[in-house]
Amino acid sequence: MPAIIQNDVLIYKGSNFFRQRLLLSTLSGRAVKIEEIRSSHDDPGLREYEVNLIRLLDKITNGTRVELSETGTSMYFQPGILIGGQVTHSCCPQRGIGYYLEVLLALGPFCKEPINAVLQGVTHHDLDVSVDKVKAAALPVLLKFILVDDGLELKVVRRGAPPLGGGEVVFKCPVRRHLRPLQWCKWGLVKRIRGVVYALRVSPTMANRVVESAKGVMLKFLPDVYINTDQCRGSNAGKSPGFGVSLVAETNDKTFYCAEAKSLEPGTGESTLPEDLGRECAMKLLDEIHRGGAVDSSFQWILALWMALGQKDVSECVVGPLSEYTIRFLQHLKEFFGVMFKMEVLREDEDSDDETVISQKVKMTCVGIGYVNISKRTL
Amino acid sequence: MADTAIFDKKKSHRAKHAGRKAEKKKKKNQVDQSNLSARQRNPKAFAIQSVVRAERQFRRKEDVIAKKQHIPQVDKTPLEPPPIVVAIVGPPRVGKTTLINNLIKSFIKTNVTNTNGPITIVTSKKRRITLIECNNDINSMIDIAKCADLVLLLCDASFGFEMEIFEFLNICQVHGMPKVMGVLTHLDMIKNAKKLKMTKKTLKHRFWTEVYQGAKLFYLSGIIHGEYLRNEIKNLSRFISVMKFRALSWRTSHAYILADRMEDITSQDNIRKDPKVSRDIVLYGYVRGVPLMKDSMVHVAGVGDIKISDLSYLPDPCPLPSSERKRHLMERERQIYAPFSGVGGIVYDKDAVYIELKGSHSHKTEDEETNEKKTLLKNVVDTKETIDEQMKETGFKLFSGGAVIYPDMVKDDEYLKQNKNNDESSAESDVETDSESENDSGIDHTEKLPWDNNFDSENGEDVDADDKDNMSNKNEQSSDEDDQSSDTNEEFGAKWKEKLSERATMAYFDRQKTSKNIMKLIYGDFEVGNKVKDQNNDPSEESEEEIGGLFKRVTNSQKRKQKLKDQLDTDECSYFYALNKPLIKDWTNDANRQILINNFVTGKRSADEDAEELLKLDDASDGDDEMYGDFEDLETGEKHKAKEAENDNEVGLKRKAEPIKSEILDKKMKLKAKFDAEYDNPDDHRIKGDHSYYENLKAEALKQSELNKSVFENLDEGLRVEVEGFRSGLYVRMLFKGMPSEFVTNFDASYPILIGSLNMAEQNIGFVSCKVKKHRWYKRILKTNDPLIISLGWRRFQTLPIYSKIEDDLKCRYLKYTPEHVTCNMHFYGPVTPQNTGFLALQTVTNSSTEIKQLGFRIAATGSVNEINKSTQIMKKLKLVGTPLKIYKKTAFVKDMFTSTLEVAKFEGARIKTVSGIRGQIKKALNKPEGAFRATFEDKIQMSDIVFCRTWFKVDVTKFYAPVVNLLLPLGNKNAWLGMKTKGQLKRENNIRNEANTDSMYTEIVRQPKVFKPLVIPKQLQKGLPYKLKPKNNRISTTNKKGKHEGRIAVVKSQYEQKVSKVMKMVRTNYNKKKKDQRVAAQERTSKFKRQQEEDEWRKLKRQKELKKKICRQLSKMSSKKKPQM
Repeated sequence: MPAIIQNDVLIYKGSNFFRQRLLLSTLSGRAVKIEEIRSSHDDPGLREYEVNLIRLLDKITNGTRVELSETGTSMYFQPGILIGGQVTHSCCPQRGIGYYLEVLLALGPFCKEPINAVLQGVTHHDLDVSVDKVKAAALPVLLKFILVDDGLELKVVRRGAPPLGGGEVVFKCPVRRHLRPLQWCKWGLVKRIRGVVYALRVSPTMANRVVESAKGVMLKFLPDVYINTDQCRGSNAGKSPGFGVSLVAETNDKTFYCAEAKSLEPGTGESTLPEDLGRECAMKLLDEIHRGGAVDSSFQWILALWMALGQKDVSECVVGPLSEYTIRFLQHLKEFFGVMFKMEVLREDEDSDDETVISQKVKMTCVGIGYVNISKRTL
Repeated sequence: MADTAIFDKKKSHRAKHAGRKAEKKKKKNQVDQSNLSARQRNPKAFAIQSVVRAERQFRRKEDVIAKKQHIPQVDKTPLEPPPIVVAIVGPPRVGKTTLINNLIKSFIKTNVTNTNGPITIVTSKKRRITLIECNNDINSMIDIAKCADLVLLLCDASFGFEMEIFEFLNICQVHGMPKVMGVLTHLDMIKNAKKLKMTKKTLKHRFWTEVYQGAKLFYLSGIIHGEYLRNEIKNLSRFISVMKFRALSWRTSHAYILADRMEDITSQDNIRKDPKVSRDIVLYGYVRGVPLMKDSMVHVAGVGDIKISDLSYLPDPCPLPSSERKRHLMERERQIYAPFSGVGGIVYDKDAVYIELKGSHSHKTEDEETNEKKTLLKNVVDTKETIDEQMKETGFKLFSGGAVIYPDMVKDDEYLKQNKNNDESSAESDVETDSESENDSGIDHTEKLPWDNNFDSENGEDVDADDKDNMSNKNEQSSDEDDQSSDTNEEFGAKWKEKLSERATMAYFDRQKTSKNIMKLIYGDFEVGNKVKDQNNDPSEESEEEIGGLFKRVTNSQKRKQKLKDQLDTDECSYFYALNKPLIKDWTNDANRQILINNFVTGKRSADEDAEELLKLDDASDGDDEMYGDFEDLETGEKHKAKEAENDNEVGLKRKAEPIKSEILDKKMKLKAKFDAEYDNPDDHRIKGDHSYYENLKAEALKQSELNKSVFENLDEGLRVEVEGFRSGLYVRMLFKGMPSEFVTNFDASYPILIGSLNMAEQNIGFVSCKVKKHRWYKRILKTNDPLIISLGWRRFQTLPIYSKIEDDLKCRYLKYTPEHVTCNMHFYGPVTPQNTGFLALQTVTNSSTEIKQLGFRIAATGSVNEINKSTQIMKKLKLVGTPLKIYKKTAFVKDMFTSTLEVAKFEGARIKTVSGIRGQIKKALNKPEGAFRATFEDKIQMSDIVFCRTWFKVDVTKFYAPVVNLLLPLGNKNAWLGMKTKGQLKRENNIRNEANTDSMYTEIVRQPKVFKPLVIPKQLQKGLPYKLKPKNNRISTTNKKGKHEGRIAVVKSQYEQKVSKVMKMVRTNYNKKKKDQRVAAQERTSKFKRQQEEDEWRKLKRQKELKKKICRQLSKMSSKKKPQM
């Protein structure tokens, strides 16, 4: 749904990509209006987790103005200036912490003061990237843009499974005046595989069974496989039972692919076998490796964002096949910032076999818009 | 004699033939000494003599090198840079216009009758310049300083530097210093040679202190026949054409345009109905700085922020000469483009077009051409009515000197003719291109024209063309001839619709293979915003799964719509497989595993990475024969392996194994380049030693700038503009809708029209905090909340600043006035601008001579931005005062400090203090007198004490922001923009005086003379004094008496009273006499009585003595008698 622009306000319809729109609005300083939010649903209007996101944005900004209609089916969002600093936020357990963490990660470098956020809620969720994945695969991407790691940190204090959560993470991000342009066209070969299996309020043998099956698959490809188990006790294990695994593949050019799987929520009736879970996660990781590219497929959008927000220089990166989410994000980027990417599909062998064998790689090239962190203070 | 000779002969030197020294020498003589350097011959002489000195030398050398290093910046100049802006600045009547005329004449050998606005000329094979004269208005000076690359600062030498020059230099320093060259004119007015020399010297040195030591200063010695001396001008123009420029930070982050042409394309009808209607304006100019994005916000200096409704590029009206192999400019290549001045053949006013033939050399050769166009133009002018035609009309006015292809006409022609006949159109356009001079902007027939994207009336043709362009660009190496030709045929074919499905299938196969339409997939119809195209394109896009006919496609599009609807409210999720869990391939099965195995370090590498392959390549490059031998070996080896294990064969298939000759050559070249880069770095002479960090930074910047230039080089122009923005150097046309009508009606070309792009968030308004210092030449200090005109970024605006000082705890303390000679903080409500941007402040921009004379120097303050925020925290000191109500021991009730209990509650626990310095604390509010509270102190306070509480009070910044709209002011009055007036100004105008505080008034002081008390010496002291110092009796008496009787009323007694007093006096005298006698008698008596008493006493004592004697004698007699018996 392309935006309609009226007096420099972007007007969207529908609740989808709510997070993208608010994020880009905050960065660009342009107001958005979102209409017809679940207007035809049984329970219309904004969900709790979306309101929670607005709260979080309000906490890290100054001068944000939000107007909600009575039914909650339309909202007007006028962003303020990014402040950052010390924030404590209890995230809505309907979504994982990843939902909020990704926003903070994208905004982090452009705040007035370095973000030091404590987020509480569900650390592992089916819909959102888990905190482990953000830590393993997204932080190295940001590191490529800021080059010097002074205080970029994500610490998982407690884990919490859905539905009740009870997890906590601490996220710290340094601020920058501008991001550097990035050329990242080679991602190398996978050199090691690491992973972590967590078991919350379940038998510790579960974790070991997961490790065994995941390792069994991965060892067919690479001998360097180490999977840790994280047995949490007491308050560290959150409020709900569950277990899960996340695997990270590191290449020799510092690209990280990450896949994860978790057990079904209690109360759904079905139960998950740990062996199946380990195998599923390993398959997902192999799929991710097959897709290739300089970043994990879940973080293509964040790469695109930081490329677009760079200095007025050319950035180019090669990623795997674009996900639907990234495509929509690119469209939004064009609407908010007017930046368009040049996309090229790379093919290694023109004459070689059918489509399924080689995943298409996409070369994204763009000129940064010369975004500078206007919030930062100089003395 | 011989003997003596023998005798005298000294013993000759006998060189040693053996031993240590001999061996040394032998060794030395083995090499030929003659062609060795001194250092090699005698290494000891060059050895380090003193370690300390060597260390110092080394350190100094390193310091010098480090000083030379600057942070490497990415060079952003495009391949074809925009003309350099040369601004001619100076006070009035100093010879600016003459200089411009002379420069133009020296560059292009043409006389220009009147100069107005920017004039672009081609000066050399690689360089164009835009000359612009700055009028005597501080607004223009500011705008010029923001866009000029080179400033020629003119100065009347017979008069000396004027204030304008210093003001201009200050403006420049604030907004990023352009190159400045001073030019001294009117030197012939100084007759005395010695004085001339002295003037030159003093002016030069003054100029140097302002700009930098050794800044270039030109001397134009005089005017002959209204022109400066030819060789001097020649010299100046040579300097201009070789000048190098440094990148300025503001301009390397913002695009800007100095408009050199303006058109009003509002429909005449609307104007007729309402002359004040908002206009649609088209402005033209070269993009400078960084690329300009399509729908970015811009600021038109002197008008305000406005959005570009339409942006397109045009062929260069003043192009650089084509790359002919000639060193000098050809006559016809010396072009001039100055629409405002009416140079280049056609002058146009608001509603008429004039053609000037005189002085335009290019017209002489192409007379027929112009005539033809003139008639054409006339037709159009006659029939113009609709907007479309207006647009055409504006296009007609474009071409200059007949040397530029007229854009809209070309487009129209193409359209018409393409619809009729393909061949005809090509012929026609050929004719046209032929008729123009050869080096025209290179508009080919096949090239897609930019304005195609910007007009709505279009067919799907262009879309196809786009597709083709994209494809052909991306698919360069494997573009087959056949396809191309069919494409071009179709592009111009009228019956393209019939072939659609056929082509769609072809295109589908094409795309299925190459996925070239990925940008389409993402951005949809990004270039052409028309619906026709969307429909046409749907099938080709949709045909991912089906190639089928119309039926399928329609269902597909419906599906897509349904999908969009569904997507409207789905939960967002950044996973690759968002919500639907896919069937993931079973990677463990063998076939699938082979696909993946090479993505691991344990797998096989690609040919250019594999060590084995590389080794082989190296061997192969030694000789062809060997190569083939190796190759054969490899093949057999592989086959052999394949028999053993099938897997490896498959692995091998994936990678290119055979090294081709070209590849080897390629590799060799690469190695050679690497070697060259390492060993003979040409520009490494200055900086030696280990500076790898700096060198790396430099290399990185260089690499980036090369990438910037090269990455879009062979992209289709339309797409390139879309992706990269309108890069600097392009000539663009900008359409602004809703421009105030005053901009057109009061248009004055002598005022520069500067259009600066605004980056993200810069169109927003917020609170800007900056550091500021009052200019030391400005006579007054600045007062908080007095309106101030600030030039910041592209903008000039008036706002109400608040000055403050940052305390040690980072609190901003409100200041009422700016301090002198120190920077202070300033907050104002204004446009969001990046940190570290410089600004300058003026109190007035009007050009009234009285005001200038009064002020002297107009720049009030300069500074730079610190921080942007949406709120401010400026605190003012506040003292709350109260008095004690009741005092207990150390507790006291205090009243009058607050007015309500609520207020007290807010201040509970606050520190208070009495005037006498007794500290205390507010405890709790009292019920009875509203606002009174209980407080405790460290000691008992007095009722007369005053209690005060020190607090801070937040001051808000007034939200006032008014852009200076001097371009909208009436002609001749443009330099008289008046914004908000200061309170003082208003009071002065209305003759309102402050009522003075009577307490502060001066009153006459009356002083009473001091009266001293008479000196009284105590009697005791008097006694001790010598006679000399003793107060004399009479004096005392007189003083006493006088003192006694002075001021008393004299009593005059009556006769009777006199008698009475006489009698009384006599009686008193008698009485006194009697008393005296009695006293004497009494004294005598008492003395007599005392004497008698003494005698009696004496007698009595005598008698007692004798009696004692007798008794004692008796006693002794008795004792002596008794003694012998004892």
